[in-house]
Amino acid sequence: MSKVLGLAFAAALLTSPLHGQDSLMQRLRNRADSLLSTWREAQRLADVADSLERVRATAGSDTIAVGALRIIANPSPLPLREAAARAWPAIDSLYGSAAEDLVQHPYIIRAVDPDSGVRRAVLHVGVELPWDLDMRATTRVLLTTVTPPRFDIGLADWLGATLRPTLRPADERTAVYLQLVTVPSEAVRGCFVGDIARCKDVLQLGDSTGLVGRWYVTPAEREALVSGVFGDYFARGGTAPSLQKCRQHNDDACTALLRSLPPGSLPRLLATAARLSLVREALRAGGREAYSRLVAHPEASMETRLASAATMDIDSLVARWRNGVLAARPVSLALPWWAGIAAIGWTAFFGFCALRSSRWRL
Amino acid sequence: MITMFRAVLYTQWKWSRLIVVLGTIAAFAIPLLSLQGAARADRGALQAQDLLRSVQSWGSLYPLLATALGLLMAIAAWAPDHRGRHIHALTLPLPRWEYVLLRFGAGFVLLAAPIAAVAIGALLASLTATIPPGLQAYPIALAVRFTFAVFVAYAVFFAVSAGTARTAGIILGLIAAIILLQVVAGIANIDLNLFGAAQTVLVLGPGPLAVFTGRWMLVDV
Repeated sequence: MSKVLGLAFAAALLTSPLHGQDSLMQRLRNRADSLLSTWREAQRLADVADSLERVRATAGSDTIAVGALRIIANPSPLPLREAAARAWPAIDSLYGSAAEDLVQHPYIIRAVDPDSGVRRAVLHVGVELPWDLDMRATTRVLLTTVTPPRFDIGLADWLGATLRPTLRPADERTAVYLQLVTVPSEAVRGCFVGDIARCKDVLQLGDSTGLVGRWYVTPAEREALVSGVFGDYFARGGTAPSLQKCRQHNDDACTALLRSLPPGSLPRLLATAARLSLVREALRAGGREAYSRLVAHPEASMETRLASAATMDIDSLVARWRNGVLAARPVSLALPWWAGIAAIGWTAFFGFCALRSSRWRL
Repeated sequence: MITMFRAVLYTQWKWSRLIVVLGTIAAFAIPLLSLQGAARADRGALQAQDLLRSVQSWGSLYPLLATALGLLMAIAAWAPDHRGRHIHALTLPLPRWEYVLLRFGAGFVLLAAPIAAVAIGALLASLTATIPPGLQAYPIALAVRFTFAVFVAYAVFFAVSAGTARTAGIILGLIAAIILLQVVAGIANIDLNLFGAAQTVLVLGPGPLAVFTGRWMLVDV
């Protein structure tokens, strides 16, 4: 009997922590559920506030419609209709058929007197513009504030920017050309000289394993990255000895430190313009439905999405992008012909002035 | 006429040989120094930016050298005449404009030495350097730009130097008047940007000093 009692007592002792653990889990789960419902409530309230703010901001305004662009603005001399007429073709050519969705994302613009010091009610939606902006500046505002339709977070993260029509696409490609030539990286240099696999690496397309070795190819680059960009980060705590070793040209230490970094924290080799220009190239190649295909499957890899948008395999697209960038080489340093003529003309002019000097005139 | 030109050239050479020799040495050395360290075979990707930075830093010396050469050569061309109150020149059996033209031409001939030195130095430097892919050397473009800059600088300072103290006074007075107007406009809160206008006229487009601006790069993309 005592043996049975002992066993029962032991079982009770063993199960009590499990019960305790269960109840803790339950409490945490309840708390998480409560937080979720509070967050949803806050979201609903924020939506209501946004909606009310939108109603307040658009009260007494007119709606201008050009293509799928909708501009809700107060009456003013601002040339919004003309600007929209100029902006729409650029927007339509970038987003193609998806641009029709812009009807759901109207611009809210409040034109204000640029010289007035009268205090205005603060609005939390839309933009305020001085009503004396010219058409060029107004067009620029429309192009640079357009909401890209169905723009998902994956695309935004990969791009590092919002995809909007560019005012000077050639300048964007020229900037990428300069990066390909001057960025201190063997991988980028490899892309410049025609290695498409390297181009895909530096654009972060495809397999992302072993990125450290593929982005920072040489030990010198890895050491420069650790010592420079991450010098302060690694100088404290347990990584300090490894940093010392890395600074003493120990490549294994440098590589280990870089591999210990959280994913996505390695600095990109090329600036945003490179990825933007690649997406523009894909959209150009893919026609009117290209953008719709690009945003159709947010869960797919960027490689797949770009290839689908461009309706060609990713290697061909990257090669095409590279050719476009190389064709945008900056203009040569040679003086323009007129500068030479102007210099000779000014030399002759000042020479003539010297001949006509009054020193000997009697 | 040729004999006269030779005589003027010879005298001008005597007065300005130090300037010509030093200017030629500097003109030859700057392109070579700007690419120092680029002649290594192991120059990799990490150095491309450093190379451009170095070339850009040294590049600012070309317009300075062109200006200095123009200024000093123009001063040297007229200094003995100014010291002698132009008596020697007045005794010569030729009109003033011919005399000025001979002096002007002689200056250009003497300036050919530093111009050639820049061209040769730039060619040598670009031939001996290992230039990373994507970058290109522009020795001829640089030499042509330097030539025009030297010529314009020399012509400007030659014209100023050939003038009288009264002419110089008028020019300085004009500059002072512009500065004064700008200051007064600033105080009176008048929207007047004379400096900007002067910059546009002198430096931009086909202005006289436009050749001094721009990128003086021996190596660039």
